[in-house]
Amino acid sequence: MTELLSSSSFWLCLSIGCYALGQKIQQKTGSPLCNPLLIASVLVGALLVLTGTSYQTYNESGRLIAFFLTPATVALAVPIYRKLDVLKKNLLPILSGALVGSVVSIGSVIGFCRLFGLSDVTTRSLVPKSVTTPIGVALSEMLGGLAPVTTIAIIFTGIVGAILLPAFLKCIGVRNPVQMGLSMGTAAHAVGTSRAIELGETEGAISGLAIGVAGLLTALLVSVGSVFVT
Amino acid sequence: MKYLKQLGVLLACCAAGDALSILLRGRLPGNVLGLTLLLALLVLGRVRLSQTEDAADFLLQNMAFFFLPACLGVLEIFSQIKSEILAILAVCALTTLCTAAATALTVHLMFKLQHRETEEAFDHD
Repeated sequence: MTELLSSSSFWLCLSIGCYALGQKIQQKTGSPLCNPLLIASVLVGALLVLTGTSYQTYNESGRLIAFFLTPATVALAVPIYRKLDVLKKNLLPILSGALVGSVVSIGSVIGFCRLFGLSDVTTRSLVPKSVTTPIGVALSEMLGGLAPVTTIAIIFTGIVGAILLPAFLKCIGVRNPVQMGLSMGTAAHAVGTSRAIELGETEGAISGLAIGVAGLLTALLVSVGSVFVT
Repeated sequence: MKYLKQLGVLLACCAAGDALSILLRGRLPGNVLGLTLLLALLVLGRVRLSQTEDAADFLLQNMAFFFLPACLGVLEIFSQIKSEILAILAVCALTTLCTAAATALTVHLMFKLQHRETEEAFDHD
């Protein structure tokens, strides 16, 4: 039994199973609260704790899964290229919206972290929390933050965005689909985009674009910022 | 073989992005540079969409799954952040609303600005 618990195939298989179950639950309930990643994390996490398996042991197989994050991020170039005409037509509003959004995201994180008295390491971990995870985690590590804290913050941001943003944005008078999509993608990355797709084709396309654009702009802002800080 | 080649194109961009990141002394992450490189190659026509899109779509459709190990990393550090977890969640929720509102407002102002410019252009005619 203990040998099985240290087998990479076992945990790999279990991870895929739990994620597939999470997707099934989301399809059945249709609720953004039932996020497949959230469900899989809780299930696999509970199994690790119950069997007394350490995270290091799990991560032997975890590394095999996480490896695909880098090529997946590079692959974001493909949807951006497919929507190049929409980007060109609305270039100035999209770029300035994503830029201001990224600046406000970083600024408001630092402000609220100070307000709530959060530690310096936690603040550094939360700075890139609005962008897609592979970019956010890379930036967090660059800033000296903790990658797991950043990951949890990014996923929670996505779920909050998917649930609250459509109603919130309508409330403040947003009617235009480009405006709606860009706001959701800039503030809530891929999870926000999955909700934007449900609102409409343009909303989804622009939101997907915003993941890449806001991710790139945040990376630039953080790297320029870190030059001035250090 | 088709998928393997397509994955190879993506991995080549990853490797080139990492190399660029080292040259830039880690000021920008390698994955962001790899993304930019692939986009440039697609725009320049050096890489065709058909040479990479199936592998890219597979990775993007399952992107959330690849985050699972990073998510479970919280098990290791939970005791460290236990006292801050509620504040962290509050920061995430509040800043998400601020970010979305700022983005929406900026796009709104830019649309208005562009609209006024086109109207003025018509006025001059």
